[in-house]
Amino acid sequence: MSDLTPAPATAAPDFELPSIDGDPVRLPELLSQDSSVRTCLLFAHADCPTSRLALRRLGPLGPELRASGTRLILVAEESAAAAARLARAHGVDAPVLAQSAPWSVSEAYGVVSVPTAVVIDSDGAIVDRIEGWDADAFERVLSISLGEEKPRWKPGCGARASETQGAGGLGAAEGADVTEVLEDMFERGWTDGLPVIPPTPENVERMLGERAADRSLGPVPPGMGEATLERVAACAVLAGCRPDYFPVVLAAVECVLDAAFNVHGQAVTTSPPGQILIVNGPVRDELGLNSGMGALASGSRANLTIGRAVRLVVHLTGGAAPTSLDRAALGHPGKLSFCIAENEEASPWEPFHVERGFDREESTVTVLAGDSPASISDHRSTTPEELAATIGWGAAGGWSPFMWPMEATSLFVIGPEHARMFEEAGWSKQDLRAAIYSEVRRPARELKRGETTSVVDEADPDELIAKWPSPERIQIVVAGGEAGRFSAVVGPSMSMDAAVLTRRIE
Amino acid sequence: MDYISPFDEQLREAEPLAARTESLDGKRIALLDISKRRGDEFLDRLEARLGTAGADTRRYRKPTFARPAPQDLIEEIARDANLVVEALAD
Repeated sequence: MSDLTPAPATAAPDFELPSIDGDPVRLPELLSQDSSVRTCLLFAHADCPTSRLALRRLGPLGPELRASGTRLILVAEESAAAAARLARAHGVDAPVLAQSAPWSVSEAYGVVSVPTAVVIDSDGAIVDRIEGWDADAFERVLSISLGEEKPRWKPGCGARASETQGAGGLGAAEGADVTEVLEDMFERGWTDGLPVIPPTPENVERMLGERAADRSLGPVPPGMGEATLERVAACAVLAGCRPDYFPVVLAAVECVLDAAFNVHGQAVTTSPPGQILIVNGPVRDELGLNSGMGALASGSRANLTIGRAVRLVVHLTGGAAPTSLDRAALGHPGKLSFCIAENEEASPWEPFHVERGFDREESTVTVLAGDSPASISDHRSTTPEELAATIGWGAAGGWSPFMWPMEATSLFVIGPEHARMFEEAGWSKQDLRAAIYSEVRRPARELKRGETTSVVDEADPDELIAKWPSPERIQIVVAGGEAGRFSAVVGPSMSMDAAVLTRRIE
Repeated sequence: MDYISPFDEQLREAEPLAARTESLDGKRIALLDISKRRGDEFLDRLEARLGTAGADTRRYRKPTFARPAPQDLIEEIARDANLVVEALAD
């Protein structure tokens, strides 16, 4: 025969904890505020997906619970700032208390896993306790309906007080599996939409090396989050960078944060641009950057994760998440990552960074604002003039087919086979630039459609208008595989007043 | 397990919107042109209509729409006007 006598109630241990509003809260005072309600302490922390599930489901019900006789209080095993963030992120409409190490309140309440809910009656006696996420139990104990949303049950995670230090290579809390850790990153919003590597202190420390974690590269527009090296390293870890990639990321972020680059405008505009990197010099081989076959494609960790890290700094630290502060109507896939390494070995010309004033043996990164690339195929030209015309006209629809001149920079990525035709004819890079510039012209009468540019408006109908306002708006790099007569042009970023900037990689 | 956040945790929350005004009486309205094409047409029309309604307006202009307004322009508007209408365009 089972014993149906309820266990004697235990007195709730007294405590005093700071609320996120800054005022300390003591349990006896709390209980004496209103003797008609009971109190539900919900212990939780931000690193536990089950805690966050419970907060998302229960937190917004604070007023409803209060009306039905239960005062919900979140006891976050977090600093006050982190507790406030946790509450805000999950719509918690209830008082929030912050508890720091050594987690004495959790210990006093015997909380070994989170979430744990402890229900205290108005006399200060513990009358119920729920561990993990158990919708049935919460509905029964709190007299509420939680609807049909799944999951109805999910086990909790280790409370802070019970955590084992240094667990798990990916930074898993004890008992968490890899999938759970990766899902946790998504729930925090630490992602560009693809899975990330968790920025554990160990991972970030490895990325930082001997650099000062709190050194700042400046605020990142548009949200103006401070780009401390530690935060940039966290983005590099999230992106999947190896630590030896980090100097490239840092140099690129320094360029991006230069006021002349105007990342602010790029980040918030309705137009599509992303931040595009061009890497030159010995670092390409040292890091295994791909400048050859598939240079603009998937497959190379170094290219993809370096470009991604820079974008994550803008997206996360800068707050320019699409649909949030990033207002791009469409954007483009290169906003995930876009890092080109020049194929200097296949180029007949001086490398891009040498043209920009650096030594061949220096390693550099260049940033420019750009839209998506368009491929330009030419298997038929028999002279360099014909090929230059094809390549130039391939870019003539940039921004808009009728926007002439276009106040923007076009980056031409010349494939090695195309480059060889220019080389055999003895053309310099400047010859190609000049040929593209003078070839791509149209009579003003063909461009007078709708509201065109003032240059076209004011021109005689037969006056030839160039696509670019000056040859300097035509940038040229060589990249790609040895075989295949293809080049590409990276779409221009109009009106963003974005300089092309290069820095040495230290 | 703790992580190093990529977010700046010190960032301020978004400021709430200012209270909507009940009346234009005695208020100066700043009409801010962000230098985007045809924004001036919109503001010309608005200025005429507000003028007809007896409102006091003053025109301001950002040097370029591509960048945030210069701080001194923001301060000038805050000092001289009670309300702002910003003309986006295109």
